[in-house]
Parts: sequence; C-alpha cells; structure tokens
Amino acid sequence: MRMLNFAKRNFLELIRDPLSLVFEIALPIFLLFIFQQFNIPSEVYLLENFTPAIVLFGFSFITLFSATLIAKDRSSSLLIRLGTSPMKASDYILGYVVSLVPIILVQDILFFVTAMLMGLDFTVNMILTLFVSIIVSVLFIALGILIGSLVSEKGTGGLGSVIVQLVCFTSGMYFPKELVGKVFAKICEILPFESCLNIVRAAFNGNMEIVSTRNIITFIAYTTVVLAVAVIVFRKNMVADNKQ
Amino acid sequence: MYSIETKNLVKKFKDKIAVNGVDLMINKGELFALLGTNGAGKTTTIKMLSGLILPTDGEIIIEGMDMKKDTLKIKEILNVSPQETAVAPNLTVKENLEFMAGVYQIENKETKINELIKQFRLNEVLDKKAKTLSGGWQRKLSIALSLINDPHILFLDEPTLGLDVIARKELWKVIEGLKGKITVILTTHYMEEAESLSDRVGIMSDGKLIDVDTAENFIKKTGAKNFEDAFVAVATGGEL
Repeated sequence: MRMLNFAKRNFLELIRDPLSLVFEIALPIFLLFIFQQFNIPSEVYLLENFTPAIVLFGFSFITLFSATLIAKDRSSSLLIRLGTSPMKASDYILGYVVSLVPIILVQDILFFVTAMLMGLDFTVNMILTLFVSIIVSVLFIALGILIGSLVSEKGTGGLGSVIVQLVCFTSGMYFPKELVGKVFAKICEILPFESCLNIVRAAFNGNMEIVSTRNIITFIAYTTVVLAVAVIVFRKNMVADNKQ
Repeated sequence: MYSIETKNLVKKFKDKIAVNGVDLMINKGELFALLGTNGAGKTTTIKMLSGLILPTDGEIIIEGMDMKKDTLKIKEILNVSPQETAVAPNLTVKENLEFMAGVYQIENKETKINELIKQFRLNEVLDKKAKTLSGGWQRKLSIALSLINDPHILFLDEPTLGLDVIARKELWKVIEGLKGKITVILTTHYMEEAESLSDRVGIMSDGKLIDVDTAENFIKKTGAKNFEDAFVAVATGGEL
C-alpha cells in the first residue's frame, strides 16, 4: 500500500532526528519526574492527574515535529516528486498520521512506566488511555499538517512553540484555569486543549464524570475543522508554494 | 502518435500569465531541451506536463491520453527529477530507492533497485544517509529515483545546476544513455548542455514558445557564432 510505504518513510525520518526524540520523549519524562520532587500542594501535580497532562504535553511536540517534517518535505521538493506519482491526497494525509501512531504509543508507555516507577499503580485504564490518546492525537497531528503546509521550516518552530505554550497554559496541566480569572477560564474553554486533557485524564483515571458534553463537542469540532482545513491547505500548498 | 502534445496550453496565476498558448509536439525517445530566461515559463510548463498543476486552458495529450481524464494512468508512465534535490534526507540511498519503489508499487523491486545501483554506481554510498551526500551524488540519486518506474517520459529540471564540471559531465553521460530509450524533457540554463544533449530545442520567453528547432539550425537561422548567441538572439527577439 502506498500509504503505508509513505508512513514508513515518515516514521524513519522522524525517529532519526535526535532532537525530536529529546523533545517528544525525554523532556516530558524529565518534567514528570522533576515536578514530583517538589511536593507542590496542588491536585494537578498528583501522578494520576499530571501523567495524562504529560501525555498531552508530549503531543504538542508531535505537532511541532510533524509540522517541521512536512515543511522540510515541501522545501526539499520531495513533495513535487511525489505529486507527480500516482499517490493520492489520502495517501499523504494518512501516511503522515499513521507514521506518528507508533511514536505516540511509545511516548505513552514510557510516560506510564515512569509514573509507575514513581509509585503509581498499574491499572487497565492505562491501556484504555493508549486508545483514547491516539484519537486525541489526531487533533495535534492535524495541527502539525496545517502548520507544516502553511509556513516554511523556520516558521514551524515559532508556530509549533505557540501550540506548546497553549497546551501548557490553557489545558490546566500546571494550574486550574479559575486561578487566573474568568476571562482566562473562558479562553481555556474556547480552545481545545482543556477538553483534550479532560478526556485523557478521564480515560487514565477511569472517571468519565470529569468529561463534559462541552469537552466532547469542543474536541470533535476542533479536530474535524482543523483536519479538513489541513487537508485543503496541504493539497493546495504542496504544489502552489513552489516557484514558477 | 506523439509522446507529448499540447494544444494552446495556458497557465495564469492571478493576473500573471505564466504560460501563454504553447503548442508543443515531442516525439517518442526524443531528448527535448526547453530553454528560456528566468520566468520564461519553463518550470510551469513542466509542472503542467507532469500533472503537478492543472492548466488554466488548453490540452495536454500524453501518449494519446488526455491529462484531464487519465491523470493517474499518465502518472504511472512518467517521472520527474525536480529542480531542487528531491530525496528523503534521513533515509539512506538504498532506503530512498526502496521508498520510491513502494510509491510506484514496483513488482520486481529488488531487481530494479539493483539495476539502478549498477547503472548509477551507487554501491559506494548505498548505506549513507541522503543528506550526507555531496551535491553531485544527491543529483545522481535524484535521477536514479526518477527512473524507478521505467518511465516512458522523464522530466529533468535543471539536473546539473550548481554541480562542478566533473559531476556535470558524469550526469551528461547518464542522460545521454537515456536517449532513444525514453522521452526526456530537459530544462537548463547551460547552453552547451542543451546543445550537446538534445535532439531539438524549444525556446520560451514571457510564457510563449518562440521557436522549436535543432541547436544547429538555430545557429544557422540567426547567423550567430555559437548556440549561446543564437539563443540570446531568439529569446530577446534580436534586441541584444
């Protein structure tokens, strides 16, 4: 299958970039470890709450590095070569998405193992979280495809960092949104990252009550719209960006 | 039947006409050089002929098939070596060949890959990552990748740009080896390259195809000392 062939190539490109592995895996593990050393008196830093937050934090780097890969492909003319081949638009998009799934699974497993080494008990919910996180990751991969299709390789660093910062500050991973005031709390509700974190936390703790209808609608709406826009922009820019 | 035939090919980008009414007929096995100054419309023409972008108007017939109706069938029988090196940087040379064989779903993959390794003498760099190769090797790999599907038609966009004289001559040898076997459309800014390699030359200026002939006839027609002067005379309408 052309899609799997493309996914294999993307996977190899990603895992052979040492910087991406440091940010996607080593940095989140370091944060998970270091924040447990301070005994911060807040529920968000409990292992059962902070581990799913780290999963989401890892996804923000998936956005950054998938965007970089796509921007690089465009600048190196590889997409021109592939554009003249019999590959279809769906082969490209699914090829980028599928290539990231093994990385997401490895991220999750390493984060869970680290949490268990620090005292968290293994539960079946961790396995459920693997499935749920793959679904949630689609939004982050779509954001990566969109950014990588819109800007150059240099620009992906800037826009990717914006996503990392938004995840940190608006998902509720470091502090409850209410602490900063009503306007900030509203922004967190409008953006998708708080909803994503609630969904992953709910799966991780087997507590579906913390997921609201708003969370589900927000996640589905953002994922659908971002993915659709990403596909359109990718198809347009993989060729149109190139010089005459 | 022509290998490539275009009728009144037009491409507009907003208010700019990049290609303006190009009628082109290229024979099977011919090595056709498409020349022009920067912005003349060569690369846009190649992008349309290779199915990468759609024309605003006009027809493209590839081996009797209509580009609009039979795009996927046409894409099976052509290939492109783009202007900038188009390789997967973190993949080795062998992995790049395997990747492109997968893109075209080549049945006898190993045989084809080994054939290309031999033809382009890629053995010594086979396990090196593409990004670590010199410019010359990257271009060679890029052309090898474009032959993975045994294309009937091959587009070579500035294949020797930026290469030293040795690497350029090596690539010329490779391109000469393709003559007669497949239809090659070559764009280049090196006049001696076009003169030495091509059967016929098409000269574009401001999106229009000014004239098509052999390099020798262009020299005769313009009364120029060499092909470079003949090209300048045709491309500028004798103003220089």
